[in-house]
Amino acid sequence: MSRSLGGAAVVGIGRSPFVRSSGRTTLSMAAQAAREALADCGLTAADVDGFTCYSTGDSAGPSQVAHAIGVDDLGWSLSVLGGGNIVTSTVAGAATAVLSGQAEVVVVYRVLGSQTRYGRALERVEVDGEGQFAGPHGYLVPPQWFAMFCRRHQYEYGSTAADLGAIAVQERDHAVRNPHAVARSPITLDDYLNSRWISEPFRLFDCCYEIDGAVAIVVTSAERAADLPHRPVHLLGAADSNRFGGSVDQWDDLSCMYSRDTAPRLWSRTGLRPADIDVACMYDCFTFTVMATFEDFGFCAKGEVGDYFRAGRATYGGDVVVNPHGGLLSEGYIHGLNHHYEAVLQLRGDAGDRQVRGAETALVTSGAGPFGGALVYGTAAP
Amino acid sequence: MTTTHGEPPAVGADPLSLPPQPVPDAVTAPFWAALADGRLAMCRCGHCGLWLQPPLERCRRCAGPTRFTDVAGTGTVYSFIVQHRATVPGYLDDLPYVVALVELDEQAGLRLPARIVGVDPAQVRCGLRVRAEFADLPGGDFTVAVFRPVDGP
Repeated sequence: MSRSLGGAAVVGIGRSPFVRSSGRTTLSMAAQAAREALADCGLTAADVDGFTCYSTGDSAGPSQVAHAIGVDDLGWSLSVLGGGNIVTSTVAGAATAVLSGQAEVVVVYRVLGSQTRYGRALERVEVDGEGQFAGPHGYLVPPQWFAMFCRRHQYEYGSTAADLGAIAVQERDHAVRNPHAVARSPITLDDYLNSRWISEPFRLFDCCYEIDGAVAIVVTSAERAADLPHRPVHLLGAADSNRFGGSVDQWDDLSCMYSRDTAPRLWSRTGLRPADIDVACMYDCFTFTVMATFEDFGFCAKGEVGDYFRAGRATYGGDVVVNPHGGLLSEGYIHGLNHHYEAVLQLRGDAGDRQVRGAETALVTSGAGPFGGALVYGTAAP
Repeated sequence: MTTTHGEPPAVGADPLSLPPQPVPDAVTAPFWAALADGRLAMCRCGHCGLWLQPPLERCRRCAGPTRFTDVAGTGTVYSFIVQHRATVPGYLDDLPYVVALVELDEQAGLRLPARIVGVDPAQVRCGLRVRAEFADLPGGDFTVAVFRPVDGP
């Protein structure tokens, strides 16, 4: 049996509208995205025998969504508990199911309804687990955790607010050309610096835009993909890393993230290096997540991300286009599965006004802090 | 420091007025019991001496039995944030407040999240030396360890 993911491909992509508040159920949105993804690749519910999603207990499950779109008997159903940290495992898991014969056609989805907002926890009055040590000090939510990381990076490497701002401004500039993005008005560095503090050193524009919406992608074998309408997008390899049981407080070096360990694994498995990547969909729950992981994946040295972005190296005409859709910061927060949607669109050559010309490889990262993963897609089978 | 002492909150008060309350379990309960007793104690392996945070029933390195052991209560600010906006209940009258990851002197990398008190947020730095003191957690049922600069301004 093959030891790589290379025999699997993404053949279809779908989404529901991305909006601040939909008033819809997660089941409705997920079903819409799944139907769109199947229609996109010319398949029907009768062709689907696998469904998987990741969630934090906030979503309609795979068997429900499959049933809702007309799948009668689902042969492979896997609900994964996790957030951005687990996206790569979920997509790679779908590919593994296909490669091992557990399923032929798998729909992967993530849906977020208005009940899910990670940036604040004003209803949380009791906390168990590791949160019981932090919550009583008014420290409980992701913008606080990753601001803590960012501060340490500033201390060790001298990175600045303007460096974070360069990332925010660049991503927003990309979103201007994306009709699906929820935040499309350009911002300047001054706008960034004048935005209000949330958890210092994070300002408003360091934080992603939490929204309602769903994304679905269809994974099948490369053989099957050859008969479907779109140019298949192949999985070239994936890697994950999990340390410290996911503890953001105990992770040993807050100036970097899981990607410190994932990157060498990924580059070794794929035989690729940063210079080979055309599009980088970097998980960007916060600007600093891009900064830390971009360094870890080896695009530039520690402390150089600000200069890299300011020099135009992270956009069209530069070294690699980072988040051409505007990312979680500006397109919206669909927990990183929208990064996969964008990577597929770019590698098909179907990204319209924001197409990265000649794009053949895309890095998609997911997660932040002590755990996460990354995957590379390519236009050619490995 | 603005934590109120001995002032029980009104029943039915605005839920946002109280910070999240801990829910101790079989493994963490001694941590909270020690604090109630005016001691800061951390989980430590009885065999190999490794300090474990969050606490575990058995040591992750040697599987030895663990127990809570008093620490000196001194440490260094590894990193910190200044919380300007109400994203978590509690301390709304204290905004902006400082939360740090305090690296305790007992073991490299052994950290506790805690509020830093008695200092202007603008004066807090990574590397700042701090010492634990005890404060009643608003809500009335728990004591927490907060940290104050050792040579406060």
